[in-house]
Amino acid sequence: MPRAGLESVLSKTLNELWDRMAAFAPNVLAMLVILAAGALVAGAVHLVVRFGLSAVGFDRFASRSGVRTVLERGGVARPASSVVALVLAWTVLAGFVILAIGALDLQIAVDLLSRGFLYLPQVLIALALVTFGTIVGAVLRRSVLIAAVNAGIPLARGLAAGVQIGVLILFAAMALEQLGVGRQIIVVAFTLLFGGVVLALALAFGLGGQSLARDILAQLAHRGPAAPADDARRHL
Amino acid sequence: MSARVPLVPEVRARIAEIGRVDLLVGIPSYNNASTVGHVVRAVAAGLAKYFPHARAVCVNSDGGSTDGTPRVVAEAGFSTPGALLVTHQLSPVHKILTPYHGLPGKGSAFRTIFAIAEQLGARACAVVDSDLRSITPEWVELLLGPVLQQDFDYVAPLYLRHKYDGTITNSIVYPMTRALYGADVRQPIGGDFGFSGRLASYYLSRPVWDTSVARFGIDIWMTTTAIAEGFRVCQAFLGAKIHDAKDPGADLADMLVQVVSSVFDLMGTYERQWRGADGPVPVPLFGFPHGVGLEPVPVDVERMLATFRQAARDLREIWELGLARDTLADVVALAPAEPFRFPDPLWVRVVYDLAVAHHRAPVAAQPLLRALVPLYLGRTASFVMETADSGAAEVEHIIRRLADAYVSAKPYLVARWTAGGR
Repeated sequence: MPRAGLESVLSKTLNELWDRMAAFAPNVLAMLVILAAGALVAGAVHLVVRFGLSAVGFDRFASRSGVRTVLERGGVARPASSVVALVLAWTVLAGFVILAIGALDLQIAVDLLSRGFLYLPQVLIALALVTFGTIVGAVLRRSVLIAAVNAGIPLARGLAAGVQIGVLILFAAMALEQLGVGRQIIVVAFTLLFGGVVLALALAFGLGGQSLARDILAQLAHRGPAAPADDARRHL
Repeated sequence: MSARVPLVPEVRARIAEIGRVDLLVGIPSYNNASTVGHVVRAVAAGLAKYFPHARAVCVNSDGGSTDGTPRVVAEAGFSTPGALLVTHQLSPVHKILTPYHGLPGKGSAFRTIFAIAEQLGARACAVVDSDLRSITPEWVELLLGPVLQQDFDYVAPLYLRHKYDGTITNSIVYPMTRALYGADVRQPIGGDFGFSGRLASYYLSRPVWDTSVARFGIDIWMTTTAIAEGFRVCQAFLGAKIHDAKDPGADLADMLVQVVSSVFDLMGTYERQWRGADGPVPVPLFGFPHGVGLEPVPVDVERMLATFRQAARDLREIWELGLARDTLADVVALAPAEPFRFPDPLWVRVVYDLAVAHHRAPVAAQPLLRALVPLYLGRTASFVMETADSGAAEVEHIIRRLADAYVSAKPYLVARWTAGGR
């Protein structure tokens, strides 16, 4: 191929690239401006919400209502007002990011965006389920642990952990079901797992606690006197 | 205030028919058919013997008994109080039987009694439990007399109890009430009380009847309110208290949480009063203290200790939410110790730490209060071992020593109550 022909092709290609970049530049610039504006607005939202909630005593309310304890148990050391402010700020920023991607006016970006918008509700519901399940699991674990220790059950920690894991599995299965990930497999796996746990517990109680079960049932049926061990605590 | 309390038309008509009375004795009940007849007869005999010239009414406030309790009350004879009497009733004793409305519980039953007392203009009132087996006519004189004749507003009972009976009172409620409010009332949650008509009206005016007070916290609320609001308080020695065994299904954790959370709630209500209260002062005592035979109370120290030791292993993560670091470390260090002893000052710090935790986050502190049960069992086991060979006087001395420890540690409570961190 002659040298002049190669230069012509390269020049044409570079020119086309330059033209396209020149045509695309306003979109990129618009995207950067939107992102910068988003960062500023998100920052402002964070500040306003953070100090606004603090001023109206939200942190005190969160502390007295137990929300702060739940956050601490979940490893979140920030004040509740800061958590709310952060969530709102990131939500605002996410909205601006979506707007910024839209400003690029690329077909693939538009397609991704519309798919993302369609899938977003499921993701949010799944996230809410996982969050709620984590909180419920932690609360139930604590309640079971205290009740089991007060009842003198030797494996109190194991029992409490089992309850928490069961709750987490239940909510994780629900979240995955919501996302449409391996729908059938999850349902079948969860059914097998849950059924297996219940069967194992039934067998353990049936084999290991026959006399206890008999006593409890007899007491329920006849409303007879409490066991001597209970008598020993009644005065307290 | 009594106009706000719903009363059934029959009761309103009966109140209009009776007009005014000098004395009122209330008997809250729920399925107490086997004992309430004795209580009503003792009340009638007491009124006839000690207040023959007074116009009196006996009010049974029932929570919907299904065992015929109201029928037993209705049929209990007022006209034949028995050979005990030296004076026969000159004024008639009226009887009012009423169901109560509102949240189910002793507090709602008391509210109905207060409302009837206010509408009848009663000068002196008393309430007695309907499951009492040891009530005598003298109780009526001892609970009403100080109000009617000495112008007291509140008469707390003083019973003789077995050394292992009433350990929640002995280890928490009595010493805390004494240390916080400065009044040495030995049985703040005794269950049988005397009070003036004006105090009944004051109780009615308080906005507590949709809270836990209506259910279970009425006893400590009445006592604390009377003390903290500056009413004249005294005690009456009633002898032994023998009553039906508590519901075997009742959970110790529930009972402890109910009583302790009521005490802690009242600390929030009366913060100004308890922070400004001086050291404890004796409360006037009526009646003649004497020794009586007491039914032995069985205890299982090994089981209590086992629960405490397991909790020291398994519940640290819960305890650390409410106990100060030093307190937690000292409590956990107790678990393996032999011989086991739970020192007074450490127990007081545990209770005060939990009071502070409840003050800062009442909702979050509820599980913490349930986790108090093993600590309480550990403390009780220690008390039982320490007093195994002690007589009544020595046991009372040990309880008084604990009460003094509560007083000594009050600055610790104030400091932690005021401070923000652990």
